[in-house]
Amino acid sequence: MELIDNLSLGLSVALSFNNLYYCFLGALLGTLVGVIPGLGVLAAISMLFPLTFHLEPTTALIMLAGIWYGTTYGGSTASILLNLPGTPSNAVTCLDGYPMAKQGRGGVALFMTTVASFFGASFGIILLTLFTPVISEYALSFGSAEYFALMLMGLVAASTISDGSAIKGLAMVVLGIIFGLVGMDTQTSTIRFSFGVLGMLEGVSLIALAMGVFGVAEIIMSVGRIGTADLDPKSLKLSSIKPTKDDVRRSWMPMLRGASMGSFFGTLPGTGPSIAAFLSYAVEKRISKTPERFGHGAIEGIMAPESANNAADVTAFIPTLSLGVPGSATMALMLGVLMIHGVAPGPNLISSQPELFWGLIMSFWVGNLILLLLNIPLIGVWVRMLTIPYHLLYPAVLMFICIGAYTSGFSALNIWMVAIFGALGFVMRIFRFPGAPLLLGFVLGPLMEEHFRRAMVLSRGEFTTFIERPISGTIIALTCMILIWGIMTSRAAEKRRKAREKTTINES
Amino acid sequence: MFNQGEKKMKSILTAAILTLGFIQPLAAEEYPSGPVTIVVPYSPSGNTDVFTRHLAPYLEKKWGKTVIIDNRPGGGSMVGTALVSQADPDGHTLLITTSAFVTAPAIQTELPFDSRKDFVPVANVGYVSYVLVTNGDSKFNTVKEFIEASHVSPKFAATAGLGTTTHFAIEQFIADTGADVDVVHFKGGGPAVISILSNEVDIYGSSISSAGENLKTGRVKALAVLGSERIKALPDVPTTAELGYPDLEIKQWVGVFAPAGTDNAIVEQLSADINEALQNQSFIDTVTPLDWTLQQSKPATFAVQIDKELTKWKALAVDKGISK
Repeated sequence: MELIDNLSLGLSVALSFNNLYYCFLGALLGTLVGVIPGLGVLAAISMLFPLTFHLEPTTALIMLAGIWYGTTYGGSTASILLNLPGTPSNAVTCLDGYPMAKQGRGGVALFMTTVASFFGASFGIILLTLFTPVISEYALSFGSAEYFALMLMGLVAASTISDGSAIKGLAMVVLGIIFGLVGMDTQTSTIRFSFGVLGMLEGVSLIALAMGVFGVAEIIMSVGRIGTADLDPKSLKLSSIKPTKDDVRRSWMPMLRGASMGSFFGTLPGTGPSIAAFLSYAVEKRISKTPERFGHGAIEGIMAPESANNAADVTAFIPTLSLGVPGSATMALMLGVLMIHGVAPGPNLISSQPELFWGLIMSFWVGNLILLLLNIPLIGVWVRMLTIPYHLLYPAVLMFICIGAYTSGFSALNIWMVAIFGALGFVMRIFRFPGAPLLLGFVLGPLMEEHFRRAMVLSRGEFTTFIERPISGTIIALTCMILIWGIMTSRAAEKRRKAREKTTINES
Repeated sequence: MFNQGEKKMKSILTAAILTLGFIQPLAAEEYPSGPVTIVVPYSPSGNTDVFTRHLAPYLEKKWGKTVIIDNRPGGGSMVGTALVSQADPDGHTLLITTSAFVTAPAIQTELPFDSRKDFVPVANVGYVSYVLVTNGDSKFNTVKEFIEASHVSPKFAATAGLGTTTHFAIEQFIADTGADVDVVHFKGGGPAVISILSNEVDIYGSSISSAGENLKTGRVKALAVLGSERIKALPDVPTTAELGYPDLEIKQWVGVFAPAGTDNAIVEQLSADINEALQNQSFIDTVTPLDWTLQQSKPATFAVQIDKELTKWKALAVDKGISK
């Protein structure tokens, strides 16, 4: 059996001492970052990104992936105990997790979400194992026109679906593309937007941009806004983590539904774990016979979203690894890691680098098992973590950002870039411009340009190539639908908001 | 782009001056008198890097001194190359690079160094051959069939990027055969091979290592070897010389260079030491599976080859209008 051979190859890679160590490190760091409210996965990965330069690409990816799914495990802790989401994808877990903690069932909630996370992740890994090679086979029918269309769809979907205003999202994508165009053009070696700065010939550093917009901006925003964690002592009754029979009975189906929904939304560009978690919560509430229990500590309300976001974390790797098209900003960073190491993600990845692909997949099992074993005994430690004062924590984080930015190219220019992008990120937060589309545009923009220009050469200058080719045409049509739908829903939301404001003004 | 290099250079210079002050008498007696830095202008784990990492232990053993491999990627190998052009010519900072050394200057005219004046060629250590490949199911089986078909309807050729060896290979092919072919640039050899597998592009002048697995499984087929000697792994594939295009010869070679002004005795010794390492059977056994053909060379013959190639590619670039 080829599959078994591949899996054992992967297992041997994942279980090598070095990879096991970095997998453990990634999972641990991820949980840590996840537990701390306000520090998201993007910030964490951006900050730890330079560390991975000195590693083999497989090891680097294993570690970053560990951080990625580790944060989702850890994120539920803050949601349940503090009513503050550790990461956006755990936000919905607050709704029923915090009431459970208030009822003195915090231990049960933490234990059960860990189980749900493990279940969701396992479901996702199985799908990833089965489908990625299949998709890779079909990927050969994708030419430059198709890749361009797919990336266009990814950008439009990411900017319109994710959150808030579609126009703001699109504006950020365009800004990201402009940053991405800085430096030498790949087709003719023409220098663009470098303003005579020699260090800019190589383009804007991905690390500086990500650390600035996500890391630094996050920290500036948090100053004075989040005090030291205010723990409810009642929630600390961790001796009682054993769920009741009723809890277990109620958990099965939400976990399964959550995992399926999460797996589906994980693969789509622009959705990802947060949307998956919200939708699975909404579904559970709608189909429940007792919807009134939701919001007052219903266990279904934490099982479904925690299973969904972990499944989505894993399946997000399917398009990234099989097509080389990242669906989210985090996946774009993962793609960046591969490209920096000279590994071209895409249809050839599985056949040319089987040890990387299968090693990564098997490391998911290893990492999730580690998290399962790590989280249950360490619940008490994570809870104490929440009491580190932020005036000590954040300056330390800022220092690591500077070290990371400098060592990524041994150039002081990178630190200036971090500062500039930090300021930009701060301004963006104030005016509620989302950061993720900016990063996605930055990574995808230059790739899109490359595919667009190549498609034009191959069609000998016919623009219609994007519509005439069946796969590309279908994707373009879908993109138009997403765009129209996105603008319409955001208009409607705007109208509702205005109407609401009006009534409040009238009432007062 | 080069400030970083300059700063690094200053620290290297300072270190070198300080060290020299102490061990001047020893240095006169034998080379090397201290650690030798070999600059690899590519990322770790690339082809050239792997080759150098295999070579370094043999030199360390021979000299009894540390050999440091310094990866300085960027600007398509030009950042690291510029760095060595400004290094002290005492044989303790060397450059190991590829044919990009002669092809890049043909396209980029504003390089901060002169390939002819700023370097002394030391040894041409080996090369990877190039083959002209097409999809395994394509209807062309010979170069002649392909050229004829291109006159009926124009064809596309892939490159691994503007100004790369694969780009020059295709431009030379078009110049020599008169085939009606348009050039499409990809980013790296991997995507270029995929474009052949997916039938998006018709031909690609690929290094034997990047066509590798796909050539063995028959998903791509080789029409010709771009050179004058057949390849052991592909005994039935004719060479371009046999087909009547003797100028159509291209190889991705790897060579060692020292900064200009390096003492002639040191260059000769370096060349002899490197050639000796290349003959080591266990070294041969490690790099042969990576599709390398090792060779022995003298500094003088390598210098002639460099001069010839610089002229040849510059002329082609100017002729094709791809020189900046």
